[in-house]
Amino acid sequence: MGPLVVYEIISENTNFLLAFLIGISFGFVLESNGFSSSRRLAGMFYGYDTTVLKVFFTAAITAMLGLLFMSLFGWLDLSMIYINPTFLWSAIGGGVIMGIGFILGGYCPGTSFCAASIGKLDALAFIGGLFIGVFIFTEGYPLWDDFYKAKFMGSPTLNEMIGVSRGVLTFLIILVALAMFWVGEWAEKKFARKDYTINQR
Amino acid sequence: MKKMNARLLLAAAVIPLGLIIAAVPENTTRPYKLTAEELLNEVSEGQQFMSPDEIAHMIISNDPSLQLIDVRSAAEYEKFSLPNAINIPLENLLSEEYVDILNQDVKLNVFYSNSSNQADQAWMITRQLGYNNNYVLQGGLNYWVETIMNPEKPAEGSPNEEFAKYDFRKGASDALGGGAAVSASAGSGTQGNTPPIVKSKKKKGVQGGC
Amino acid sequence: MKEAKKYMNPYLGGVLLGLVLIAAFWVSGRGLGASGAVKSVVVAGVETIAPGHAETATFYTENKEGHGNPLKSWLVFEMLGVLVGGFLSGALAGRLKFKVEKGPNATNKIRLIFAVIGGIFFGFGAQLGRGCTSGSALTGMAVLSVGGFVTMAAIFGTAFALAYFARKLWL
Repeated sequence: MGPLVVYEIISENTNFLLAFLIGISFGFVLESNGFSSSRRLAGMFYGYDTTVLKVFFTAAITAMLGLLFMSLFGWLDLSMIYINPTFLWSAIGGGVIMGIGFILGGYCPGTSFCAASIGKLDALAFIGGLFIGVFIFTEGYPLWDDFYKAKFMGSPTLNEMIGVSRGVLTFLIILVALAMFWVGEWAEKKFARKDYTINQR
Repeated sequence: MKKMNARLLLAAAVIPLGLIIAAVPENTTRPYKLTAEELLNEVSEGQQFMSPDEIAHMIISNDPSLQLIDVRSAAEYEKFSLPNAINIPLENLLSEEYVDILNQDVKLNVFYSNSSNQADQAWMITRQLGYNNNYVLQGGLNYWVETIMNPEKPAEGSPNEEFAKYDFRKGASDALGGGAAVSASAGSGTQGNTPPIVKSKKKKGVQGGC
Repeated sequence: MKEAKKYMNPYLGGVLLGLVLIAAFWVSGRGLGASGAVKSVVVAGVETIAPGHAETATFYTENKEGHGNPLKSWLVFEMLGVLVGGFLSGALAGRLKFKVEKGPNATNKIRLIFAVIGGIFFGFGAQLGRGCTSGSALTGMAVLSVGGFVTMAAIFGTAFALAYFARKLWL
């Protein structure tokens, strides 16, 4: 039963090897979908390219469904997987700052590595910025230590908060995601730019 | 056009899947760790038992690793319980609040009940879930009272160990508030080794984030 | 100029990404991530270059408790894989090229400066928010974590809100 490393079906080192292989798939999929292009990523916020929305949410609902089905078939022990903890203030604050970084820089860390690997110099610049940003955080840690640890709410899941089962929440999110895809398609037509082709199959 | 089809295809796939997953109740079974054969072996060897002498010794010497668990009903626990014992009635054994007590590698949990039936049952269930460091008080409270609380003085001519044991039990009985009578020597004599606490490799909490 | 190959259908791409995410959970019990790898490298760097500082400064001591050797981390291996995977995909599709990507009304210099600035913000924000879009938003959503949803909403909401002001970079 999974997770494999928790149930000691694979060793720690195999886990790292698989991390590498999973990373390769991750990078490959990201690049094949054009996440190596900052114009494409930024396009999400201007409407001319909603690929980010489609890929992101399709991935999220696929993973949600996948995890729940695997638990259903006894292939995965959901109580053993890592659920991101919720520190409310730093989640919001960090998110806002990241949002600024996203729209100014045009990348997020994962996509920047992906883009750097195919030669995008602006991605390299972004990565440089990442290191600086992290360093600023770690060095000045005592200054924001309290904010960082504020309002710890454990690891609540959204379905617990609104009082439905995971499956029901997944279904609701699926509906929301599909609605967003339809809006996305409409937006792409409406906000299309002459000098930009989405270039997708 | 292809994209339009892909979207519809996706919708056609995820909506039914979503409905299924929303309708089906979640799977919360905990897997069994031991095969039936393995369990039978352990049961036959009887390694889960700890004698009253061993337990008395641990209590008197204030061994911090001992944790007695009374698996009888709350009412019986209220009436009489062993020193520092906690009460986990058998029917509540699998409740979430006790998981951390039962599945750990720091303390030596010893189940006890009146005879050893219920305690044995508790042990079997937790053993099957793969928990280590759980044991059973041999003979239960009935035997405990017989041996420790009211130890029988061995007949004249019995081997010295019998007397040593008797002395120990007498001393224990006093220390634990049992019968009257003085002990010849309060020394702790030779007792069985407490079983080693197996460092169960508790499933490492997964690290994540970032 | 050679026409670059088309990108994958995004819905297919999303499904594949979801499968990769599921695989990550199945193998290691955690999802994907990226910013953590950057943190690991920074920590490793500081520990090597200024070990005395690393032993006293709060962040490094706290971090040491949770993790051992900073470079022997799942995310570091994963990001190395991302570099390889991205390269492979780019190579197969003929998209390998050194260039600065930007909107038609921006100069290279402006774009690069803002890329660095954006990176600084993002690096800081990712540490504060305990994850970036991959680790916190995507993975967090997959496990239905409230923190994940909150962070995602904050990232995308802010980016949308500020899009107007950054439009010179992209449009």
